[in-house]
Amino acid sequence: MSDSLIGNADRKWLFQGLGLTIVVIILAILFSLINPKFATITNLLNVLTQASYYIILAVGMTFVIAAAGIDLSVGSLLALITVVSFELIKNGLDPILGVLLMFLMGGTLGAFTGYLISYINIPPFIATLGIMVSLRGLALVHSAGKMHYGLPESLTWIGQGDIIGIPVPVLISLIFTLFGAWLFNKTKFGLHARSVGGNREAARLAGVNVNLVEILVYSFMGLSVALGGLIMITRIDSTQATIGTSMEIHVIAAVIIGGTSLFGGKGTVYGTLMGAILLSMMTNALVIAGVDYFWQLFIMGIIVLIAVTINNIRDKRFLFNSKP
Amino acid sequence: MQSFIKVENLTKSYGGLKAIEEITLEIRKGEILSLVGDNGAGKSTFVKTLAGAQLPDSGHIEIDGEAVRLESPKKAEFYGIGCLHQGLGLIDTLNVPENVFLGRELQKKVLGIFPQLDYQKMRTETRDLLNQFSIKLPKLNDAVVNLSGGQRQTIAISRLLLQKVKLVIMDEPMAALGVEEGSKVLNLIEKMRSESVSVLIISHNLEHVFKLSDRIAVMKNGKLIKVLEAQNTSREEIVKLITFGLS
Repeated sequence: MSDSLIGNADRKWLFQGLGLTIVVIILAILFSLINPKFATITNLLNVLTQASYYIILAVGMTFVIAAAGIDLSVGSLLALITVVSFELIKNGLDPILGVLLMFLMGGTLGAFTGYLISYINIPPFIATLGIMVSLRGLALVHSAGKMHYGLPESLTWIGQGDIIGIPVPVLISLIFTLFGAWLFNKTKFGLHARSVGGNREAARLAGVNVNLVEILVYSFMGLSVALGGLIMITRIDSTQATIGTSMEIHVIAAVIIGGTSLFGGKGTVYGTLMGAILLSMMTNALVIAGVDYFWQLFIMGIIVLIAVTINNIRDKRFLFNSKP
Repeated sequence: MQSFIKVENLTKSYGGLKAIEEITLEIRKGEILSLVGDNGAGKSTFVKTLAGAQLPDSGHIEIDGEAVRLESPKKAEFYGIGCLHQGLGLIDTLNVPENVFLGRELQKKVLGIFPQLDYQKMRTETRDLLNQFSIKLPKLNDAVVNLSGGQRQTIAISRLLLQKVKLVIMDEPMAALGVEEGSKVLNLIEKMRSESVSVLIISHNLEHVFKLSDRIAVMKNGKLIKVLEAQNTSREEIVKLITFGLS
């Protein structure tokens, strides 16, 4: 990865990003040795395709966590905006307008979350927990438990098509990751998000509009949910009100494994990409090994706990090293 | 020396308690004025009114002959007043240029459309600024949490200088610094004077006060009791004024 892409904020965390890449490669070799089915090109592309929507959401979540926030509502938001848009498209709405509506809803609801956190001072965990429950309820009310399926081909291409053999979801997720890395490391928005996470009051005194930054960060998260949701529903050509349940755990885990500090202020989009690929690879390996879904959930939970512990140890070491 | 800021009859109360009372003082261009007094003398309240952190109840402030109302730190900054907070206001996780330029970042256009931070220019300007004040930092790309107290202090000062401030207010600038680092900050303050920047220092360290100041203002019980030329007074006189007032 070039120096210009990694940028100044990530330079310090380059080693960690590379370290994680090495872990991903070693695990891939290990899984391939255990089960040759894992090493096929088809399966590896399948892993990346499965990882694509998690990557996109995790890129958005990197901004949220770097700004010292958290968003538990991403799975519910994905459910609501996909069931509403899907049904409207099925009822004759132009697919492009339907997609635009998804992004509009994602961005607006995300901004509303940011508003609750910045202006009403509701802690991010509580605000997004409340929104998570409310949006899931709205999705269930709207769809009345129905499964929606049968999108026009122009849309299913997004989730199922390929360009020179590379699945479109993989291409979209990689392009979005590059965009996210640029935004995080090279723009005022990324710098302000990190500054708010590093020290909100100092950022305010320096002239950063901290409330606006928080609203924009959560709005960007909502837009990421819309893009991830679009890929997800066009890939499986269906949606329902329960889609995206527990998705937040997977997304947050990818960000933390990637090296973004839970205390805010620093992170790396490249690490997030590697974290999301690592998690999808492990899930895939467990499926191939025939491990029961409920055991997969258990293992996922343990991975999250280990990642958070490592994160805490690293940040404490960081603080111990600091000089007054 | 020309006057930069004049305050007249500045009064501020908290409930029934008069924190400062009828303060009249002039700060001249390019001078170092130290504000001394016991705890509770009103020093912090006074500088807060100059830094735009709070409005006085009465009195008025003139900057370069113009009556002004310093209702916010932004407004004070607009008139060229910068404040070095005791916590320094730095963000530990950001590097040096990011801290120096935070809130006033330099940008360039990518593909002629997209604004992007101009890190190269920010690094160069930070380096130039630090060189100008003979400040040496090993690595600009390090997060500031890894720097020493003195280095952090100089970064915070650099940030103010970048804003082209005309008056820097410093609250105990040498507190918690070692001898070597403290002397570097002292040099930096003297350098600011040579650049015609006025400096208002609150300090309990009379050695530093005498080493740096052109004038010393003594406060007691919310009142400004005397302003003395540093050359024409002694440490004993200042201690006496701080302890017993004019009596």
